[in-house]
Amino acid sequence: MAYPTPTPWMNAKTEARVANVLLYGSVAAVLIFFYLPIFTLIAFSFQEGRYPTLPFEGVSLKWYGALFENSGARDALYNSTVIAVVATVFATVMGSAAAIVAVRYKFRFRLPFTGLSAAPLAFPQLLLGIVLLLWFSVLGRAFDFNTGLVTAIIGHVVYITPFALVIVAVQVFNFDATLEDAARDCGATTFEVYRYVTLPLLWPGIFSAGIFAFLLSWGNFYLTYSLAGSTRTLPTFVFSGIATGSSPLYPAIATVVFIPGILLVILADRTRRKAV
Amino acid sequence: MSGEIDRSWRDPELLVKALPSVILQTAFFLAPLLMTVALTFQQTKNYQLQWTWSLFVWTDIFSKGHYWTILGHTLFMAITCVILCLVIAFPVAYALATRVRAYQNHVKVLITFAFLTDATLKTFGWVLFLDKNGAANYLLQQIGFPPAVVDILFTDWATMLGMVYNLLSFAIFTIYLSIDAIDRSLILAAYDAGASKFRAFWEVTLPLARPGIWAASVLIFLLAVGVFLEPKVLGGGKSPMSAELIRQTFETRVNWPLGAALTLVLMTVAVFVVLLFNRVYSLKRHMGPV
Repeated sequence: MAYPTPTPWMNAKTEARVANVLLYGSVAAVLIFFYLPIFTLIAFSFQEGRYPTLPFEGVSLKWYGALFENSGARDALYNSTVIAVVATVFATVMGSAAAIVAVRYKFRFRLPFTGLSAAPLAFPQLLLGIVLLLWFSVLGRAFDFNTGLVTAIIGHVVYITPFALVIVAVQVFNFDATLEDAARDCGATTFEVYRYVTLPLLWPGIFSAGIFAFLLSWGNFYLTYSLAGSTRTLPTFVFSGIATGSSPLYPAIATVVFIPGILLVILADRTRRKAV
Repeated sequence: MSGEIDRSWRDPELLVKALPSVILQTAFFLAPLLMTVALTFQQTKNYQLQWTWSLFVWTDIFSKGHYWTILGHTLFMAITCVILCLVIAFPVAYALATRVRAYQNHVKVLITFAFLTDATLKTFGWVLFLDKNGAANYLLQQIGFPPAVVDILFTDWATMLGMVYNLLSFAIFTIYLSIDAIDRSLILAAYDAGASKFRAFWEVTLPLARPGIWAASVLIFLLAVGVFLEPKVLGGGKSPMSAELIRQTFETRVNWPLGAALTLVLMTVAVFVVLLFNRVYSLKRHMGPV
């Protein structure tokens, strides 16, 4: 494999060494870069004093206590959970179904179908939020409703379904269609084929799509900010906190927001490895 | 691997799966977009929307340089962000696909988690880190630097840092997928033909990874023109970008037609830039080796 070749400016050994340092170095650097603000937040949440500045006056969990006494934060936690759970279910089901259609079937409107179903992926979230807000305001005037939990969920589903579609589509690509044919030849009904062949085979993809969907919704700021009306979720609650002057309460909320993320990503990794 | 099945578009099995997504995106993506277009031809009076068809908003936009200066600044920031993301993401994606075999999954999980964590929180984390009395300066002072060496918060540099931070994962994943899909035997063939590692990389790997690089550029660019959090929170709102202008137009000035028109201008210009680059790129390919 490593075939010795005359090189004009470096011998093969140095070349390989430079390449390795550069590559491993870049991975390490990027990981540090990614986790700098996250660890900063987590560290500041244990600050005893009144302001998030260094050095710490002491280490304590008191802001976590304050968090659960704060009714705004509790409501935000509740709203975040409701929105994320409902949005995940809808986005995953619709996205998976659309992925099967887009990858498996050849039909007349395939291109427009795929384009439309995936379009929000490349649409800036803030603008999507604004466009939807306008739409809901006009509809709200006509049908007399205000923006709130439901409109936020609709916004999340619109934005997240394409993500689910792409993730499941990858799984559908690697799917051996002859297995379905085999089941059908053995006398399985359409439902049975789905229940016992298609779904189990696509499950890893659908499962990761679900986790992705949950986390995208759980941590979503832009859409909730535009569409939830006066309903606050954890991210919008934190945003309003940054605006009004910081206290270590907000890093504490941020840390609480991280927890389901960490758990779900670990869970997803475990399941995937079992599947392989 | 999967066999594609010919189906009529009216096939019930297909419709059951396709319709929910079609209805969703038609009712809550396409329809709002079309309404936004219609809104731009209306006017506001005393913060109230008036349904009177006119070109008022459009003449306003095209006669004021202010909007275009901000748009230019936005495009500049977005393109810089794309370039930085590509330069940083490529070695990482390449290393993920070719080197860190043993830790590959751990690294991927770590990157995924960082990506899925809400941008507001991470941006807030950067504020705490970069602040004059923040973590960075504190740590640097501990090892002997003068106080407040890191003083980039509330400048364009901080905005750019936040943008690259929040969009980098898109580049890493897209480029990783395209490198991972490259047939190893092509690279081995290049070695057999006497190419050095660097040359094989330059003439085999890089050209084959191009679709991924291109996809990453388009995705990041389109998302970067729409950022609002970073210029506001990290940039201190000093040099506003288009998205912030649009948000203000809606929220503070309550001028929906103008806001809708600015949204459309931003999206149209962004798509136009993508098409332009695509054009230049394919021209170059036809005219000779790149």
